[in-house]
Amino acid sequence: MLKKINLKGKTALVTGAGKGLGKACAIALAEAGAKVIIISRTLSDLNKVNKIIKKTKGTSKSFICDVTDVNAFKTVLTKINKLDILVNNAGNNRPEHFTKVKKKNMEYMTDLNMKAVFNIAQLCSQKMVKFKNRKKVGGSIIHMSSQLGKVGCEGRNVYNMNKFGVEGLARGMACELAKYNIRVNTVCPTFVETPMVKKFFKNKEFKNKMLKKIPLGRVAKESDVATAVAFLAADTSEMITGTSLVIDGGWTAQ
Amino acid sequence: MGLFLKDINLKGKTALVTGATKGLGRGAAIAIAQAGGNIVAVGRNQLELNSLEKIIKKFKVKYKSINCDVNNYNKIKSYILNLKSLDILVNNAGTNIPEPFLKVKKTSMETILNVNTKAVFNVAQLCANQIIKLKKKNGSIINISSIFGIVAGQKRTVYSMTKFGVEGLTKGMAIDLAKYNIRVNSVCPNIVLTPRTKKYFANKTYNKYIKENTPLNKVVTVSDVATSIVFLASEASSMITGTSIIIDGGWTAK
Repeated sequence: MLKKINLKGKTALVTGAGKGLGKACAIALAEAGAKVIIISRTLSDLNKVNKIIKKTKGTSKSFICDVTDVNAFKTVLTKINKLDILVNNAGNNRPEHFTKVKKKNMEYMTDLNMKAVFNIAQLCSQKMVKFKNRKKVGGSIIHMSSQLGKVGCEGRNVYNMNKFGVEGLARGMACELAKYNIRVNTVCPTFVETPMVKKFFKNKEFKNKMLKKIPLGRVAKESDVATAVAFLAADTSEMITGTSLVIDGGWTAQ
Repeated sequence: MGLFLKDINLKGKTALVTGATKGLGRGAAIAIAQAGGNIVAVGRNQLELNSLEKIIKKFKVKYKSINCDVNNYNKIKSYILNLKSLDILVNNAGTNIPEPFLKVKKTSMETILNVNTKAVFNVAQLCANQIIKLKKKNGSIINISSIFGIVAGQKRTVYSMTKFGVEGLTKGMAIDLAKYNIRVNSVCPNIVLTPRTKKYFANKTYNKYIKENTPLNKVVTVSDVATSIVFLASEASSMITGTSIIIDGGWTAK
């Protein structure tokens, strides 16, 4: 009756895997038995993640690649035999009040959080549908969204625009890829203890204000999100597609 | 427990499951037992409660059965108040009498509303109070909702009214119970093949309607839903509250 999170025999690609959530997802998927392809711009970060995965007796392979460089990413895909899972994670945020958002920041974020997310998803899907046994061995794509893909928040208008977009993309992709037995979902975490959030939380006033919005009174751990991603990657969620797993301690329930 | 992959484990926890004799409730009870949780099964059919005991005992966990109609407030209250251990509620007992809106009988409407809304509320409140009284460090309540808690469907006005209500209740409870570290979520399955729904699936037109509306082109199994329930029951989802896991093969993504 109970299905277990088991990714043995599957290959997963994780973008933005050098740090934070991407790193946690890569390690969690390896712990669940997947062979993990990790993508990041920074060699030293990739080396660290490879080392941790090796220690936990997992298998990984790394490629230095900027996900906004479509051709570079295409080259990476030519070096991979098979792909079953994509964790479309690479993203960034530069919070600014709407009236003060700098054009270059809006474009930087949108290029990464939307254009690159779309391109990577499309290229990986094309690779995933080619697998002959796909009808039997389902594919799974997980986009890293956010609670801010569900509700607005001050200073987060561009991020809101990007992440609401990702929510739409996931649903559209789910409808089109279902016939290939590829599922598409998002995870929507609240603030997570990552290097990026730690930087935001140096502002104590901001930190307390945000914590007050989380009914459970705590931020998420990287393992909370990584476990949900593994759940969506595995056959445990065989009939879940075109939806979001909200990991926000109750933020969006209010 | 891995570095970033949390265990889905219910050892030492006790779960009360309503409507445990058949379908989703029975599946949830078995899956929880498989994950190591003790079971308090609530149902109206003693023979079926006994046959469930045989299955649950195989997993070397404790089993207690309560022969009680969830509509009987005083009776269910006295049982719940006497529980020595309670961490999880699977608030499952529910019913449906599909009729077109213009033809819905007053008696059908009241029957559905009494179980799906009033009893669901009462059992949730009684169990939440008991979990708090037993001074548990954490708790998890899973309300069994439906895709018809999110969208409408043919001949399902009353059912949608009650399940949309359950979605609202889930969010409200999540806010009020967060300070006790009791999480509250729902699962929203598409129409699952169970003893109750078997007769619908026998109808060709209905079967076609389901398949055509499910992009993954498969029927949701009891095991699909039970696995999500166990995930929500366990600390693997410790930051997930006030939300729903939609298990619908893409039905509501369209």
